[in-house]
Amino acid sequence: MTASATEQIAGDGVRIELRGRITAYTAAPLWRSALETLARHPGRPIIVDASQVEYADNVGIALLLDLMRRDRAATAKVEIRDLASNLAALVQAFDSKDFTAAPRGRLSPGIFEQVGRATVQHFRYVTQMADFVGECWVELRQALTRRGRINWGDVLDIATEAGANGVPVVLLIGFLMGVIIAFQSGLVARQFGAVIFVVNGVGFALLRELGPLMTAIVFAGRTGAAFAAQIGTQKVNEEVNAITTFGLSPIQFLVLPRLIAAVMVVPLLTVFADVVGLFGAALVMLTFDIGFVQFYNQLLQAVTAWDFGLGIVKAAVFGLTIAAVGCQRGLATGAGATSVGLSTTSAVVTSIVLIIVIDGIFSVFTV
Amino acid sequence: MQTIPMQAGVGATTEVPPAISVRNLRMGYGERVLLENASFDVQRGEIVVILGGSGSGKSSLMKNIIGLYEPIAGDILIAGRSIVKARARERNELQRGLGVMYQSGALFGSLTVLENVRFPLDQFTDLALADKNLTARMLLQLVAMGYAESLMPAELSGGMLKRAGIARALALGCDILLLDEPSAGLDPITGANLDQTILSLRKNLGLTFVVVTHELQSIFTIADRAIMLDPVSRSIIAEGNPGDLRARSTDHRVRQFFNRVPDMATDTAES
Repeated sequence: MTASATEQIAGDGVRIELRGRITAYTAAPLWRSALETLARHPGRPIIVDASQVEYADNVGIALLLDLMRRDRAATAKVEIRDLASNLAALVQAFDSKDFTAAPRGRLSPGIFEQVGRATVQHFRYVTQMADFVGECWVELRQALTRRGRINWGDVLDIATEAGANGVPVVLLIGFLMGVIIAFQSGLVARQFGAVIFVVNGVGFALLRELGPLMTAIVFAGRTGAAFAAQIGTQKVNEEVNAITTFGLSPIQFLVLPRLIAAVMVVPLLTVFADVVGLFGAALVMLTFDIGFVQFYNQLLQAVTAWDFGLGIVKAAVFGLTIAAVGCQRGLATGAGATSVGLSTTSAVVTSIVLIIVIDGIFSVFTV
Repeated sequence: MQTIPMQAGVGATTEVPPAISVRNLRMGYGERVLLENASFDVQRGEIVVILGGSGSGKSSLMKNIIGLYEPIAGDILIAGRSIVKARARERNELQRGLGVMYQSGALFGSLTVLENVRFPLDQFTDLALADKNLTARMLLQLVAMGYAESLMPAELSGGMLKRAGIARALALGCDILLLDEPSAGLDPITGANLDQTILSLRKNLGLTFVVVTHELQSIFTIADRAIMLDPVSRSIIAEGNPGDLRARSTDHRVRQFFNRVPDMATDTAES
């Protein structure tokens, strides 16, 4: 399955003889050498002898078309001779004028346009989010006042997937957080003979900050992304349109069950993270000669129910935020698989940023 | 199965192996068998359409031929070489010789239409960028999509996605093209143009086509031979020239299909 091109000077003109099967796999060197011949002889007529061409696929046809369409002087035109009639019919089916303009690439706006678009997009996102929160509030109020508006089966399924299936990873992260904080703090505190106060620090940090925060970050990466991808795919598949055209609310069907499930499971996951985190810290403290009972007594002196309760309230707010952002990004998905990917990324990034901001607000107002 | 004698397609010979040979194929998903003991050949240069009601396994049969799904039993030969028994490398090589258009077009969402059509050329040839662009634009012109070369797939309608998918399937100049419902969702003019493109490619390049379609007009225009699957008996119930099958088949399911008769009308007629 080979092809070749040979060049001969014939009188005033140049003769290019093409041979064999010109296909996508064999055309590249022929095409290059033919164009080089044309460039070397700008003033001479070129005759392309195609009598020995056994076969030409689409690329071969494109090669012949390309040679014919070259802009050359009237006395130096390219002429294709003895091309098989079936191949000639394919070449003649195209008008070389259709390909004179450079191919249009994807539309890429300039830097100022990009900045402008991004700014408008962010403002639009804020208004979309405000609309979304409003719609959710209205739907939630209706759901709470009328029976049958919330599919509790869906809520349970989502809570199982987002909560129960997320327990192992939350336990692992919580345990490791407790171990790491206790160990690092213990090393420093030992220099000052204040190892026992590591328990205060670990308890305070885990219950108020790190327990809910780490759980929320895991939840955002695992479940917030899944919410955006699921709803985004439903949007692309026009399932959301189908719900709307039935006169139903996508918020009621798709969003509320996820919001309720998230508010339920993130605090529960946080409790798990708190408990295993403290257990991990207690294990580490054994190496600093602080026994379990001493750890427990010190912990009770250091933290209050308020600290634990605050962490749980934070977790519920984080869960609500993550679910809301995931669902909103899903519903705002454009067309195509790429949009689903963008929505998912945006959901995770936005959720984590919002979680940190909300955590900061909590820290300032709950000292 | 009822077989109506037909003329072999252009380029059909007895010396070279058929483009596609399906031998005693049993295919399905897990416990669910869609087709049993199916055997047929597609000769070089022939246009064969695969017909059948929804759920009869037309698209699955195509995916078995392509080597995407493994049959439960039986063999599929591409130009005499088994794609079922082939090792991964040989299977890839065989697959590269097949141009495929999937039902939804299956364009890559992150590439423009032109880049999608150019993609196989980028991957498997040493052509210069300008040459690849010209080939890709020519193929887009062939399916009347020249105006959409800079658009992203997300901006295309279903029919446009299909046409761009066909252009991409043609890019590497494969001898065998498998098209899954190419004219579904196209307007009549574009559909008719597409039929003419298929006929022209067969006539001028001798390409072999396996086309899954329901479009009767298209079937009668392009097909040398039709193979009809039945979801109930899970078998090939008819094979032959579509015109002959319509005129001469004694199987009521075949007549019903080709004459577009609803179930109720058949029941009434039979009672």
